[in-house]
Formats: sequence, C-alpha cells, structure tokens
Amino acid sequence: MKTRFLFPHSYRRIGWLLFVPFLVFGLAVLNHDFQVDFLEISFGQSPLPGTFESIFSVNTINLSDEIATLGMILSLLFIAFSKEKIEDERVAQIRLDSLHFAVYLNYAVLAIQVIFVHGTAFLDVMVYNMFSVLLLFIIRYRVVFNLENKA
Amino acid sequence: MKNTLKIQRAIKNSTQADLAEAIGVSRQTINSMELAKYIPSTALALKIARYFGKPVEEIFELEPGD
Repeated sequence: MKTRFLFPHSYRRIGWLLFVPFLVFGLAVLNHDFQVDFLEISFGQSPLPGTFESIFSVNTINLSDEIATLGMILSLLFIAFSKEKIEDERVAQIRLDSLHFAVYLNYAVLAIQVIFVHGTAFLDVMVYNMFSVLLLFIIRYRVVFNLENKA
Repeated sequence: MKNTLKIQRAIKNSTQADLAEAIGVSRQTINSMELAKYIPSTALALKIARYFGKPVEEIFELEPGD
C-alpha cells in the first residue's frame, strides 16, 4: 500500500535545516517586532504626513512576518510528510493515528484557550495555532515510530 | 488475531529481515506482527502466505472477539 502525497525521505533533513532558522526568525518577529529592512515594500504614493489619510492608509508593508510564516509552514510540512526509508502499511497506520491524535489534542488545547484567553492575547493563540497541529503530529509520530523501531 | 509467523519462519529457517525484504516491508513491521501488535492488510497477509507456500489460514487465525 502506497501512501500518496509524501515528500522524498531527504526532505526531512531539509525541513529541519529550514525549521530552526525560521523558528528563531518567527519568534523574533512575533515577540520582539523584529523586521528585516529590505523586506519592506511600498506601493502608491504616501499621503502627506499629518493629513487624515496618513493615519489610516497603509502603503508600506514589511514582509518579515509573511516570510517567517511561510518558512515555518513549509519546513514543518517537509518534516511531517516525508517518506520513511522503508515505507510500508504499518508506517502509514502510525501516520494516520498520529494525525488523528494531533487534530484532537490541538482542538482540545484550542478550546481551553478560547475559554481562558481573551482580548488581543488571543491573537497570539491563533498565531501559534497555525503551527501546533503539525508540531503535535510530528512529536506523536516520531515518538511512536522510534519506540516501535527500538523493538 | 493470532499468527504463527515465528514458527513458520523457524521452519523455513529465515530471519525477520529475510521475510521483510521478500514482501517489501520493514523488519519492524514483521516484529510488530509477530508480537500481535499489528494486523496486516489482506494484501500483506497473502504475500506472507505466498512466501511460506501455505494457505493464509495456516498462518493467521481469528481469535474470539475479533
């Protein structure tokens, strides 16, 4: 039985190599408002300072957070969904079980946060939630896979 | 589900690795099956039966409650 839509085995290593820097970058962007200057793009003409328009219009954006988010998503997908050296039906079973586990646990944690976290802090919850399903999946999958392979 | 994989292997004098390679799975999968932790698909069970040259029923057996 072949599992479809998996990356080649070597992509796991690429995933980890990308994940570490993007995690550091992402945390810096999220918690310390870190921005890379050359990622700033402008469009249109800036309204004159002091005018009504200048308060509300956005015509420069910094792409640091976009790059960090996309980098995290891509690297986590590589880690989560790359093939094993020997891909067989038991591995597919572990993968499916882990995905099931991760989705349940993720929503359980999210439900608790919905109840206890309010206001703007909830925005952080949503940001972490973008990655937590994949993270939980990776942890559960690796733990079970490694435990069974020791036997 | 019970199975006699270990016995069949002993009769044929083959290792877990031999069997694994012959049917295209990892050695851990053979180990999991022998420990009755993993139940193979029909396709895999048939491949195992073919490897030992015996009917599937001689290798795999339902247990009460299955």
